[in-house]
Amino acid sequence: MSSVFFYARKDAKKNWKMFVFVIMAIAISTANIIIINGFMDGLTDGFLEKTMDTSSGHINIYPNEQDKYIEGLGIKEKKLDGLDGVVAYSPRITAGGTLHYKEKFKTIKILALDPSKENEVTILLSKIDSGKTLAANDRDGILISYRLADDLKVKIGDEATIVFENGKIRVFKIRGILHTGLAMDTNTIIINFEDASEQLNLFNKASIILVKLQDGTLSGQYKNKISGELGIQKIKEWEQEIESVLSSFKTFRDISNFMNAIGLFTGAVSVGIVLYINILHRRRQIGILKAIGMKDSQVLFVYILQAVFLGIIGILIGDALGYAGTKYLEAHPFPDPTLGSLGPRFHLSLIYDASLVTMLIIILAAAIPALMASRTNIIKAIWGE
Amino acid sequence: MEIIKTSNLKKSYMLGNVEVKALNGVDTSIEQGEFVAIMGPSGCGKSTFLNLTGMLDTPTSGEIYLEGKDVTNMNSNMRAEYRLKYMGFVFQFFNLFNELTVMENVMFPMMLNKRSNYKERAKELLNLVGLGDRLNHLPSELSGGQQQRVTIARSLANDPKILLADEPTGNLDTASSIEIIELFRKLNQEQGQTIVMVTHSPEIGGMTDRIIHFRDGTIEH
Repeated sequence: MSSVFFYARKDAKKNWKMFVFVIMAIAISTANIIIINGFMDGLTDGFLEKTMDTSSGHINIYPNEQDKYIEGLGIKEKKLDGLDGVVAYSPRITAGGTLHYKEKFKTIKILALDPSKENEVTILLSKIDSGKTLAANDRDGILISYRLADDLKVKIGDEATIVFENGKIRVFKIRGILHTGLAMDTNTIIINFEDASEQLNLFNKASIILVKLQDGTLSGQYKNKISGELGIQKIKEWEQEIESVLSSFKTFRDISNFMNAIGLFTGAVSVGIVLYINILHRRRQIGILKAIGMKDSQVLFVYILQAVFLGIIGILIGDALGYAGTKYLEAHPFPDPTLGSLGPRFHLSLIYDASLVTMLIIILAAAIPALMASRTNIIKAIWGE
Repeated sequence: MEIIKTSNLKKSYMLGNVEVKALNGVDTSIEQGEFVAIMGPSGCGKSTFLNLTGMLDTPTSGEIYLEGKDVTNMNSNMRAEYRLKYMGFVFQFFNLFNELTVMENVMFPMMLNKRSNYKERAKELLNLVGLGDRLNHLPSELSGGQQQRVTIARSLANDPKILLADEPTGNLDTASSIEIIELFRKLNQEQGQTIVMVTHSPEIGGMTDRIIHFRDGTIEH
């Protein structure tokens, strides 16, 4: 084995100029994987955090399949109050309607909530672009998403009319413009829970209850407990809620994987071609190696070992570049109109994954020329036939 | 003792659709400690014979016995092991490893053979061939004659029973050629090394114990 190491090292040293390019290709390919995956993770985490911040509790309680609303809200709230480990909850009502301002109107999604309870569970009401947020006792004010405000050309302090889905009409004052970075920015308005109950005749009812737990990791246990206590079957943990968000990132993930694959393929092809050229140039040497008694498997190992040498150096450089690049972009993210900022998130598994995948691909890429070398015909190689 | 024996050894190649018979039934025997020259016109099968007895190539038919053992049908690994432990090769074009120093070139077969004292042995062999002062030179820094002497030192690294040389002086000037043959003679006489050498030169052939003449793939009697 030491002789194989010895020859592989000497041969690589002799060809170091050629190998520098391979090392660069491997390094760039590895760094590329780290940064792109870091970006994907950053993007996914960003969306997940926003979703958790604005639209989900650790546990979300929905009406049973046959019901449109959760009935008996007061009793259910009392039961939640009595449950150890439940820190807070926020019932919400969701409904449809239209918002009219001057001659314009838009179809809207109405989200009704109790600001004092909602603030215990999410930070949705802090996502204000301008104006002020909805106060607990504010029965005339609404928050309006920034796109809706833009479409209707409404400003803070303007009065706009909501036509609820049951036909009831009421005038509200625009208190603040909402900007969450999520889908609700399109056409959502937020009003006080009591207002919605009154207008929609939904006393003692809710569309959803968001529940915050002391320990979010125990959501599985609490799901069953709450289901039993409240007599409700449709309860989702936060992980189930974000599944839909995650699935919407699948396409992005596929695209990034495709880009990674192209990068890896480039690195692998470089390794394969350079080793192949090296082997072609050293055919006579390979013939001599075999003539003096080197076994086929040892010749194979010489070239696999060279690829591993190149891989280790290239991957280490790539890891350093990937780490530096990810950390830099983490500190200096790109501005993004939806998320606020778009940057990667660094975690060690990015480096482990990129290193492992790159090394495996390099070994595979080296296998063909190495196998060719090991099967070299001694006579043809030595006499250059 | 008979160290090499071939029986009805044949080797054919296909050149397009034409079968070329490089060896056409060679029966020969070489004794241990003999210094034998293989001679004959170009294309008569000298090098093919050497490649087959050196286990660098496989015959189309016939048998090869080394020290009485039939080695004809050994697999690739066994052949490599046999070459490493029992054979030494000297080629016309030296065929040294250009990236290794003179010392490393000689050490390398011993490293492959997992010998422990390879550095000392390499120095000893290089002293034997008169290159004790060139240990750390690269082959490209040596003359043709010196390179061939390194090849001889390398071929002796694992104390082979048989040393096979394919036109070892074919690429050397007269003075260097004589030096190499004298070195072979010395190895043969002082160490009892069996040497089988292909050569075109009657003068060099004349310096060996015996000449085997080849013609048209067979031995000329």
